[in-house]
Amino acid sequence: MKRPVTAALAVVGYLIMIVPIVFVVATAFTAGSTLRFPPDGFSLRWFGEAFAYEPFVEATISSVQLAVLAAALALLIGVPATLAIHRGRIPGKGLVEGLFLSPLIVPELVVGLALFQQLMVGLDLDNFTALLVGHTALMLPYAVRVTGASLALADPALEEAARGLGASPLRAFVNVTLPVLRPGIFSAGLLSVVTSFNNVPLSLLLQGRDFRTLPVTMLDYVQQSYDPMVAAASTLILAATVVIAVIAERTVGFAKIFGGISR
Amino acid sequence: MTAAAELIGVTQRFGSFTAVDAVDLAVPPGKLTTLLGPSGCGKTTTLRMIAGYSAPTSGTIRIDGIDSTRTPPEKRNLGMVFQSYALFPHMTVADNVGYGLKLRKVPAAERRARVMETLELVGLAHLAGRKPKKLSGGQQQRVALARAIAIRPRLLLLDEPLSNLDARLRVQMRTEIRRIQAETELTVILVTHDQDEALEMSDEMVIMNEGRIVQQGAPQQVFPRPADRFVAEFLGYENFLTAADGTPLTIRPEHLRLAEQAPGLPATVADVAFRGVDLLVSLDVVDPSGATVRLLADVRGGTAPAPGSSVTVVTPDDHLVRLPR
Ligand SMILES: Nc1ncnc2c1ncn2[C@@H]1O[C@H](COP(=O)(O)OP(=O)(O)OP(=O)(O)O)[C@@H](O)[C@H]1O
Ligand SMILES: [Mg+2]
Repeated sequence: MKRPVTAALAVVGYLIMIVPIVFVVATAFTAGSTLRFPPDGFSLRWFGEAFAYEPFVEATISSVQLAVLAAALALLIGVPATLAIHRGRIPGKGLVEGLFLSPLIVPELVVGLALFQQLMVGLDLDNFTALLVGHTALMLPYAVRVTGASLALADPALEEAARGLGASPLRAFVNVTLPVLRPGIFSAGLLSVVTSFNNVPLSLLLQGRDFRTLPVTMLDYVQQSYDPMVAAASTLILAATVVIAVIAERTVGFAKIFGGISR
Repeated sequence: MTAAAELIGVTQRFGSFTAVDAVDLAVPPGKLTTLLGPSGCGKTTTLRMIAGYSAPTSGTIRIDGIDSTRTPPEKRNLGMVFQSYALFPHMTVADNVGYGLKLRKVPAAERRARVMETLELVGLAHLAGRKPKKLSGGQQQRVALARAIAIRPRLLLLDEPLSNLDARLRVQMRTEIRRIQAETELTVILVTHDQDEALEMSDEMVIMNEGRIVQQGAPQQVFPRPADRFVAEFLGYENFLTAADGTPLTIRPEHLRLAEQAPGLPATVADVAFRGVDLLVSLDVVDPSGATVRLLADVRGGTAPAPGSSVTVVTPDDHLVRLPR
């Protein structure tokens, strides 16, 4: 290592992040009935309890629905918008792109509060619609970023080559550019699903009686009882997130997704 | 005979910059024509206008005698090989080569046959099922060539097709492209900045500088008779001197001879570099106009003259080229 201080800081940083996770995962496998470390024995009991607990199951279904819909919407808006920004002749391209990326910078609480006031109080929309709008906005930067990065990597001569071989502009786009973008779009979708699924601030502000996401339900649960079932549920979410993240990383790579957001 | 492609007063401007300046060019059918010139002289821009990727600011482009100035590339039926090859990464070699035929709705069986036939022409039939990423640079280049040829184009356009290959492969591919051109009898326009490549490959060479054509003709005509100082320098004429009447003259280093005494030009040896098969001798020569100029002589055989010694330089008349004033 050339820079011992940086390396040490990195190690400390990782420890700070990883140690609590290790605690949570370990306590999830406890045989006892309290959230305690070290755990009392080993059992899968709390995983069974988590699967049987109605509010968690319902909230998981809600969260997945919301995450998938929001991710799909974000891609549906973000991908064509990025193509228009990069390929089209739009005045003020930078400004438009900045607008799409802004949810990365604006604090989520502010976004949540604004949506709460405008959509739920002002327009009297139900909390699912408000959540969908909020999460979609939150996912847009991923869609825009990833599409932009894939597009920048795609050789513009590809489309020209297709044209030269007899393809109309639309056909060249569908046959050549779109397949090149596909892995990027796929992984942006996956990451959006994960981000939406794990989101707390927006979901907390926009929660309602009939539609609640899993993290919010878990938060509620922890406030009342303090047993290892939450740890078991968290461990399951963690496992699912890791699997999805690995798939996303394999298809495109994080560096391309997150790299150079500020350019 | 109609030209395969004809440019009439073609100009391309990017903002206030003129990349191609009122170019007139007739490309002979069934021949290999090279566009040769230094970087930035407008070769690619010219080729892209012929291919239809950009419309000229003014002027007319005819292909097979038909005005095609504003025809989109997909309607021109030309084969183009890009410098980056631009192979479709998600398609196999066979699908790349067959793409143009698929667009032309050639039935699958015939398409397969033509793809294989074309791949055989470039010597890649055994790699039909591979993805482009798994090919070497030279193989990718052949696939790009096959893809462009498969549609039986009216013109084959090659933008620096050899510049991404290593030196040995580059020389090998020169012959290879000539062979393919001869077998297919295609009209080929090849862009290059390498004069050796152009000399070796061309039926017709077109030399460009700063957006204009400065000389055009068969290599056998152009090489011994450069039209001006720019072409002469570009083709490796390193020696420039002035005749007694003020006419600028040029001669290649290998055509200078060193002698013991007159007739010839008096000179002093400035430097001698040993290069294996030959010697490169730098000389300070008093030319016929009386000026002292630094000339290079490429000498084979004989003993090396000592630096500082006086010699006589012979400039054989049949190798001395007169340039415009
Ligand atoms: N789209 C464009 N916008 C602005 N300027 C351009 C554009 N395309 C080319 N040029 C300029 O026009 C000039 C000619 O470019 P061109 O690509 O035709 O050169 P070239 O002869 O192919 O050079 P090289 O051997 O480097 O490929 C260059 O100075 C280039 O910077
Ligand atoms: Mg070029």
